[in-house]
Parts: sequence; C-alpha cells; structure tokens
Amino acid sequence: MSKTVSNITTSQTIGPFSHEAWQWAVDACIPGNLKTTGETVLVSGVIYDGDGAPINDAQIEAWTPAGAASEPEQLIPGFRRVPSGADGEFSLRVSVPQSATPGEPLMYVTVFARGLVLHQFTAVFLEDDAGLAESSILNQVPEARRATLLARRTGDGQYHWDIRMQGEAETVFFDYA
Amino acid sequence: MKFDPIEPGIYPELIYPAYKSTVKRGPQQAALRIEAPVPASQNIVVSSGILLPNDTDLTAHGASEPLGEKIVVTGRVLDEDGKPVRNSLLEVWQANSAGRYWHSRDQHAAPLDPNFHGLGKMMTDDEGRYRFVTIKPGPYPWGNHDKAWRPAHIHFSMFGNVYAQRLVTQMYFPNDPLFDYDPIFQSVPDEAARQRLISRFSLEHTVGSEMLGYEFDIVLRGRNATPMGL
Repeated sequence: MSKTVSNITTSQTIGPFSHEAWQWAVDACIPGNLKTTGETVLVSGVIYDGDGAPINDAQIEAWTPAGAASEPEQLIPGFRRVPSGADGEFSLRVSVPQSATPGEPLMYVTVFARGLVLHQFTAVFLEDDAGLAESSILNQVPEARRATLLARRTGDGQYHWDIRMQGEAETVFFDYA
Repeated sequence: MKFDPIEPGIYPELIYPAYKSTVKRGPQQAALRIEAPVPASQNIVVSSGILLPNDTDLTAHGASEPLGEKIVVTGRVLDEDGKPVRNSLLEVWQANSAGRYWHSRDQHAAPLDPNFHGLGKMMTDDEGRYRFVTIKPGPYPWGNHDKAWRPAHIHFSMFGNVYAQRLVTQMYFPNDPLFDYDPIFQSVPDEAARQRLISRFSLEHTVGSEMLGYEFDIVLRGRNATPMGL
C-alpha cells in the first residue's frame, strides 16, 4: 500500500494574545471553582526558555482522565488550563485518580507559547507514585531524561515540576503514535 | 486512533531564526514518539454549559455593531481518513478591523473597538462543521524585524475527538500580500501545507447583502486504528 503525503492542517503559534479568549476555561477550573469529591494535589513550577529565562506568556493545559470521575460538576472534568505568570510560574490543583492505573501519569500536559510554533505534549508523574517502575510511558523514555517528567514532593500534597523548553534538562516532549 | 509520523516540512520548524522568539523557545530535541493508549483514544469531555448565546457571533458582543467588514467563516473539521470530527470544541480569537487585539499587552497604536472583542467558541456538528460570524481582522505590526507586519489571520484552537488531535493554528485570507514577508507563515517549509492555512472566498456561504463568506476546512491528525477491508 503506497503511503500518501499527509494533508493535515499544520500548526501555528498561539502568539501573545490568547489570554482573553482562553480565560473562560481558566476560570472554569481555578481552585475557587473546583468541585471535587476526591483528594487533590498541587503541582507548581516555572516554565523556562533556553537561557533559563521564565516564559511569561505560555498557556499550560493539564488533563487527568482518571481524576475526571471525582469532578462530575466541573464544566470540563479533569481538565485544567492556566496561563504562566509574570515570572513564568504556574500551579495546577488536580484530583488524584481514585482508581489509578499503575504507571499512568498524574496528568497529561500540553504547552503553548508565543515563539512555540507547535504545541508540545508531555506528562507528569509524582515521584512517590508506587507505579512508576511499571509505567509504559516512562519505560519508553530514555532513563537519563525520565527525571524531567517527575514532580518532586515539597510538602503534604504539594509537588514541584518545571518545564524547560531547551538545554541539558529539556523536558521530554511526546509525539503520540 | 493511530497517528502516523508527520513528514518533515509539514509542521513549522521549531527553531526558525527569522521568527526570533523561536530561537530560545523551540525544543532542540526531536519529540519522542511513544505509544500511549489514553491520549490516542480518549479526550476531555466538555459540558454544553460552556457555550454562551453569542459565542458564534463575534459581532454581537457590544452595545452596537462593531466597525469593519462583517464576514462569516465556516468549514469542516476532519481527520486524516476524511471522517468528520463531530461534537468537538473549537475556540477562535482575532484582532479587530484595525489590527488591534482586545488584550492588555497589545500596544499597537490602532483603536480598540468597544463593540468587538474577537473571542468565540463553538462545537462542531454531526458533519464536523463549524460556523461563526465575525469582522475581517486587520494586519498589524509586531516588532520582530523592520516593517514586520502579520498578514490578517484568525487563531483557531481545536480539541479534536481524542486528546492527541489537539491543534492550534491560524487561518489566513486569500491573496494577502504579506505572506512572502511573514516568518510565522513561512516557518512552514512545505508549500502545500502553507496553502492549506489560507481560507477560500465562498459565494455559497456569502449571506445576501449582509456578509461575505469564507471557507476553511481543517484536517486533524489521526486515522482509524483498525481500518476495515484491508
């Protein structure tokens, strides 16, 4: 069977002016509007460019499919969207899946920014997740780079995870097959 | 669904020095191709409560009519098999007719229009079709280089039917003289892929003496994982 050249619609940057249009989904999932029956964790971090400078106009989306069951009243259960702040900071409060499949990430993440011409898919795992060793996703990532996908525990229910677009510790980004 | 690798040239170059902010922001390593059943088969579920009455009429967000040329934009969202992407969330945003965004960081010395914010969202129908009424956006300068002006465009954000279909892109208008000078448009190496970002004028979708029609079809990645008849 001959392979045809893909006719997909290509990507373009989100640019610097997405905030007003994307705000409705940010509002729908901020902690004050979050109705969840499950336990939550807070994952905070900073998004950095190749100079180590914070990116202050990124948009970050997170999806916790198995956490959605705890949030039936949310407009988009299990989904979060947050713009990065003036210092590149972001934080995501997500429902911990009640019946987590071992090795599934806490959340699938998509990154958008001015100067980023194609959104980037990644995923976050909690470093103290007992299922890490059997994660089919982590096991497809070269061992030396797996740490870029691990959120570090900083307190009770609190974790730290940074996004680095370039450099030695560039976050692993995925092309889903 | 399954997602075939995309041939080089169809996506923009992640680091494209003519578009300066890509230099420190585009990943340097190739995306890691992995098998991940959840993003390839499931998606976020959106409540119908997100849709507001005027989300598909961007000319109806103020006390009166916005300035500029009223247009209607419509098209179908399809997957790589040509199947409609149904009941799928799509967001749009754009500058006003003077080339100014309703956004605190836009410093372009063109007027805001109190009757036009340039924000919309909608779901595709059973044929994958979307349709919204808006004002034709103006070109605007963006400081990337001397005389850097963006061709007029509307931003599109699409969620597809499975998570891995997510796409953000920009729709352009036919015969824009700025295409050759715009590094964002030119960051896509493949000529045919660039052309697919340009909408078509459509007499069929033109509404009487009210507004001209433009048609913009979108093909998201992904095809049926288990094709029949092979």
